[in-house]
Amino acid sequence: MASARQLAAIALVAAAVPAIAQAPPPVTFTDAEVRRILSLGPWPPPPVVDPSNRVSGKAEAIAFGTRLFADPRLSTNGAIACTTCHQPGRAFTDGLPRAQGLARVDRNTPTVNDVGGQRWYGWDGAHDNLWAQSLRPLVDPREMGDGVAHVAAAVRTHGDLRERYVAVFGRPPPADDEVVAVDVAKALAAYQEVLATPRTPFDDFRDALARGDAAAMARYPQAAQRGLKTFVGAGNCTACHLGPRFTNGEFHDIGIPFFVEPGRVDPGRHAGIRRLGASRHTLTGPFNDDPVRAPGTSTRHVSLEHRNYGEFKVPGLRNVARTAPYMHNGSLATLRDVVRHYSDLPEDRLHADGERILKPLGLDRYGIDDLVAFLETLSAPLPRP
Amino acid sequence: MRFLRIAATGCVLAAAGAAVACGESLGGARTTVEGGKYTVAYTTSPAPIVVGQHFSLDLAVCAKGGVPAPQSVRIDASMPEHRHGMNYRASITSPRAGVFRAEGLLFHMPGRWDLTFDVVADGATQRLTSTLRVE
Ligand code: HEC
Ligand code: HEC
Ligand SMILES: [Cu+2]
Repeated sequence: MASARQLAAIALVAAAVPAIAQAPPPVTFTDAEVRRILSLGPWPPPPVVDPSNRVSGKAEAIAFGTRLFADPRLSTNGAIACTTCHQPGRAFTDGLPRAQGLARVDRNTPTVNDVGGQRWYGWDGAHDNLWAQSLRPLVDPREMGDGVAHVAAAVRTHGDLRERYVAVFGRPPPADDEVVAVDVAKALAAYQEVLATPRTPFDDFRDALARGDAAAMARYPQAAQRGLKTFVGAGNCTACHLGPRFTNGEFHDIGIPFFVEPGRVDPGRHAGIRRLGASRHTLTGPFNDDPVRAPGTSTRHVSLEHRNYGEFKVPGLRNVARTAPYMHNGSLATLRDVVRHYSDLPEDRLHADGERILKPLGLDRYGIDDLVAFLETLSAPLPRP
Repeated sequence: MRFLRIAATGCVLAAAGAAVACGESLGGARTTVEGGKYTVAYTTSPAPIVVGQHFSLDLAVCAKGGVPAPQSVRIDASMPEHRHGMNYRASITSPRAGVFRAEGLLFHMPGRWDLTFDVVADGATQRLTSTLRVE
């Protein structure tokens, strides 16, 4: 009679031999995994129109916003434009861990692709709409400016800006600097709303899965399929990175250190909710152009919790291979570093009294490769030169 | 005689129906939660709830025999498995006695959520809990 140990050894050999001799078995998904994969599309989404911005979706505003976005005259030193940090050739990021404007900023520059229609803007969600978020760098002394007066003066004094302003808003720039600056921000928002990432290999797979087209599904690399299975399955990534943009639009602490420098922390969402409450440029404030004010629901109901301390917005993952470095402070250089972070997760760094969602994935080298391969398929292949 | 009997049965059914049909006026597919003193029936809008999107609740709170009528209700939700609540606080209005509307709720993650109704009447509170799974 064979001992239990012998049987185990035979079973091991039996399992190992075919794995070496043959290609790995095709990836199969459970029903729940299929539903999760389908919920990550379709792409692209319908165009965004922002009812709080009366020039949203208007061609002339988009054209004006396109110019403003690249115009350094909006900055106090005449040298910094939105494109200094949100560089079109770098997927609207700057490649730096932390942004550099008039001074160094505490946070990493996020992309402005697919930026329309979000509930919260900024890593801390201090703004509930795109035009307020677009005004902030103009009046932030670390980024471009020192207040609304400089922005309004630029529009009044430069003939080309003034002319386009009148064409978009139907009146000359009024005397109130804040009104002019918010209008400029609304044109900038109209432009950014049309910045969308294209379809990706993942979208082709997802749609093939939806129609049950096995031949088209087979064109999606096996490594990406295995990584996708981890993403929607054991990795539980879709707990937070969900929907077609791969984000729930809310805030979590995933154990990224929040020290900006020794002795100074970035309180993240906690400070964001306080800044939101102090701002005039919210959907509940006087600059919302929507007569019914329906979209202010989130701002009216958001609640400040102790756990918000050190929480940051869940970033969308479309085009993520092009937006390194990663996290609110740019502390992880590559997608491999990000996946390693989730794999080894420093549980002691997650707040002891905080939420219990993440646990270390403990992936081996191959598991890490697969998850990285999947994340890379969330970007469209670059056009051939 | 036969006709009379049918009519009588109809009557009995209607009376029993009135006892269980808390929140009849809400229409649609209601979820009913039974507590010791109260029954809560609610509908959500949109239905089903979409993860990451605001939803509202319309609910009826029905007192069982001899129990004081509900004066107010507090509504909250949490994910016990993740040990966190919502990021939003529901606002509640009462269009008419025993009927409430809660707005501004949002489930920001898929999984199990416990929706709690704290019914307040005569200084006492009874908690009713409805467990949902959202995807
Ligand atoms: C100095 C670099 C810099 C400049 C210049 C700059 N940004 Fe940013 N941008 C950032 C950083 C850093 C963040 C993250 C801010 C935060 O979380 O507090 C950001 C965030 C944003 C966001 C929010 C994106 C999201 O998903 O939440 C938008 C929109 C945006 N910027 C638009 C603009 C516009 C419009 C301009 C020009 C008026 C501009 N930015 C100029 C660095 C810059
Ligand atoms: C609990 C919610 C949550 C879960 C689960 C989660 N993430 Fe994240 N993810 C976040 C948050 C929050 C950030 C930003 C954290 C920060 O900057 O401090 C982030 C950042 C990222 C980034 C960096 C994106 C960028 O532009 O900087 C990637 C890539 C990523 N996550 C992938 C994953 C993968 C893969 C998984 C599954 C293994 C996963 N996430 C699971 C919340 C989550
Ligand atoms: Cu949760």
